[in-house]
Amino acid sequence: MIENQKNYLTYPKGIMSWLLTLDHKRIGLMYLFGGLAFFFLGGLLALGMRLELAAPGNDFMSNDTYNNVYTLHGAIMVFLFIIPAIPGALGNILLPLMLGAKDVAFPRLNLASFYLYTLGALFTIYTIIAGGVDTGWTFYTPYSTTSTSNVIPMTMGIFIIGFSSILTGLNFIATIHKMRIPGLTWYKLPLFVWALYGTSLVQITATPVIAITMVLLILERLLGIGIFDPALGGDPVLYQHFFWFYSHPAVYIMILPAFGIVSEIIPVHSRKKIWGYKFIAFSTLSIAFIGFLVWGHHMFTSGQSVFSQIVFSFITYFVGIPTGVKIFSWILTMYRGQVSFTPPMLYALSFLFLFTIGGLTGIFLGAVALDIHLHDTYFVVAHFHYVMQGGTIVAFLGGLHHWWPKSMGTMYNQTVANICCLGVFLGFNGTFFPQFLLGLRGMPRRYATYDPQYADLHNYSSFWSAILGLSIFIAIMNLLWSLRKNNKLDPGTNPWGAMTLEWTHTTSPPHPHNFEEEPVLEHGPYDYDKVIVEPTFKK
Amino acid sequence: MSHDNSSPSFLQHHFHDVKQQYETAKLGMWAFILTEVLTFGGLFVAYVVYRSWYPEMFINANLLLDVNKGLLNTVVLITSSLTMALAIWAIQKKNKNLSLVMLILTFILAFMFLGIKYLEYSHKFEVGQLPGEYYSYMGPEIAHINNPHIFFSIYFMMTGLHGLHVAIGMGLIGWLIYATAKGNLHSEYYTPMEMIGIFWHLVDLIWIYLFPLFYLIG
Amino acid sequence: MAHQHHITPLSIYLTIAATLLFLSGVTVWVSYVDLGAMNIVIAMLIATTKATLVVLFFMHLLWDDKKLLTIFVMSLMFLGIFITITLLDTEFRGGVNPEVKDSINKRAAFYDSLPLTDTHGNPVDEHGSSHPEEDEDHH
Repeated sequence: MIENQKNYLTYPKGIMSWLLTLDHKRIGLMYLFGGLAFFFLGGLLALGMRLELAAPGNDFMSNDTYNNVYTLHGAIMVFLFIIPAIPGALGNILLPLMLGAKDVAFPRLNLASFYLYTLGALFTIYTIIAGGVDTGWTFYTPYSTTSTSNVIPMTMGIFIIGFSSILTGLNFIATIHKMRIPGLTWYKLPLFVWALYGTSLVQITATPVIAITMVLLILERLLGIGIFDPALGGDPVLYQHFFWFYSHPAVYIMILPAFGIVSEIIPVHSRKKIWGYKFIAFSTLSIAFIGFLVWGHHMFTSGQSVFSQIVFSFITYFVGIPTGVKIFSWILTMYRGQVSFTPPMLYALSFLFLFTIGGLTGIFLGAVALDIHLHDTYFVVAHFHYVMQGGTIVAFLGGLHHWWPKSMGTMYNQTVANICCLGVFLGFNGTFFPQFLLGLRGMPRRYATYDPQYADLHNYSSFWSAILGLSIFIAIMNLLWSLRKNNKLDPGTNPWGAMTLEWTHTTSPPHPHNFEEEPVLEHGPYDYDKVIVEPTFKK
Repeated sequence: MSHDNSSPSFLQHHFHDVKQQYETAKLGMWAFILTEVLTFGGLFVAYVVYRSWYPEMFINANLLLDVNKGLLNTVVLITSSLTMALAIWAIQKKNKNLSLVMLILTFILAFMFLGIKYLEYSHKFEVGQLPGEYYSYMGPEIAHINNPHIFFSIYFMMTGLHGLHVAIGMGLIGWLIYATAKGNLHSEYYTPMEMIGIFWHLVDLIWIYLFPLFYLIG
Repeated sequence: MAHQHHITPLSIYLTIAATLLFLSGVTVWVSYVDLGAMNIVIAMLIATTKATLVVLFFMHLLWDDKKLLTIFVMSLMFLGIFITITLLDTEFRGGVNPEVKDSINKRAAFYDSLPLTDTHGNPVDEHGSSHPEEDEDHH
């Protein structure tokens, strides 16, 4: 084993070489640790909520405290973890490698994106220290324009993070179009790249609207411009249109990269060519586009016109179709493959189950008649946790486990990882399935207390949330534990036998400049029918 | 990985050649233009919604705006777009001095735009034609009765955001003047000038719509 | 390392600039002619013509890679989607509940609390015979 291979973790040395790095892999790692830190914080807030909700009554939180907790939980999870994490962490580390490029198109802009994320995060931390914000992560007017809590620092933070997201998307689009090695045509790209492409298109198109929305909200609070204030002739529902025009496509920013991860894991861990490559690629673009037409399904009880309700509901049904196409493609990929139950694969299988439930319940909510009853109940809470956590976070964990040996050069304990995956699966279902029932029975969301008839289901949910939290925590600790000294793998390791460029043409961890010499493309990303790539695993 | 001696100094290491670098810069710039369209677009949505709800308010509040200043600003911006384009034309033709003259003219015209805007804004501040709850102008009856404060909210936000972009553009053009004078930009490499030029034309483009929408109603 | 970029001829720049100035004058002139609902349509048509000239010629998209023009057109398309679908709400309120149909609070209550002032901020007697002076800056 070559001890002294230069890799991006160890070279160049020194803290300034990290703080001023232009290496996309280092930037990706910084996003990873920043994102995990906020995931942890958001998770603590969630566990605090579940602890409060384990029994009826205000056990240790007043209603006002509870309002602050769920607002911060939502805002931190959405803006500081789920939206930036997969593109920022995995996307940054892997995209140039998958394309055979030395870096992203605009490395300095990439570093700027990370620092904008950091600045936005500081505004968020300030908000917490200053006493929080209690409007809900959606900041609906008129409450957000009149609340005495720290709305402006939080919305400023979101405004700044929005630019981080926009610049990352812009960078990735330019990279994917322009930095591919010769011969790497669009239909030979790994599907994770297609996923990042779709995500980036949504990022640059939708995020500017949340930016202007936050500005309008801040001006309304500071200067009383009146655009959302009925007393001055404004319309509070207009705020919701502005907010959801971004926030609905934002959920596709959250899920498309996760779909990309699953599209990478399943063929590799089934040692089989992906079924329906073009279906998956084009369904990504369809979801990205249709996602811009359906935002009003978050507003069925807001007072918008009935005509628009009908239009939004109708189009919402179409957005589920391309996703269904993906699920079938993944299942057909596994069929007659050699499926190995490695941690990445177990997370991918969990994803299929959990995301399907989440996606289908979204379709239920797309029916106006049903949504009138279910809006703002726990049914919605359960739905979005199934897609965001059961979907994106589970896929993110799977991606971490899949690419950990490549990006860190170490292997974690796979038995522990598998047990944690099971813990996540059981804990997650135990936490959130009862919440569908709670919602159907009328339990409203954002309430710190409730009538005794809901106590049993809340109690089960809280119990399983502890299992879920513990499992995620141990899973991440297990990954970090693998970084201990003397646990390094041979740099040529390819434990899963994958055949995309990041596995076949770089060391584990990769060299600072990615490739010794520019790769020459020899086969497609999943050509298990033509090429044999044996898994290698040596220390 | 080694750079051969014939690689120009402005070629960044992660690009193969100057052509790839240039085309990538252009693609990135146009993606950025897309984001600007959507940013201003949000405010256009507010304009369309409120104009369709309060058409008389818009028609009457429009009387309080000065068409002459608006038209003058339009002429100023169009001319500045021309001088910006000519600055690029000049550098392509290897005429550094002409390029500098054009850049300086563009800068001056941008400053004029902001100056005219300052005159407009300061008059409005003086008489109380302000956004939202700060509106206090009680002049001719007809404007008063239709609550033009929403009109002025939208007016100040849109022209304000646009003015901010003019100011940013001025800063960027100032940098171009410096870089061109220093010789960092020349006929072989003027990509930043072209990219900032595209930004500047966008600023002109937005005003092309703002002018009729605010100054020429009714 | 030099590679040839298309250089737009000087004559095109000058012609386009002259056209833009001309169209600006036209749009001002047309705004003084009362064409009812067509005024806004014509104003937007002229603005779009001017915009097209700027995009194709000054911003060079006529000669550039068509991908770039696609990006620009897509931005307009998404803006169009945002405006159109939002209008499906705001224009059709009151379809089922007529009471929400009227514009929200045309005459805001807070106005009644403000004192009447003239264009220079001097208070006027509401029942006096003062006529607000014609502001020199406005028509």
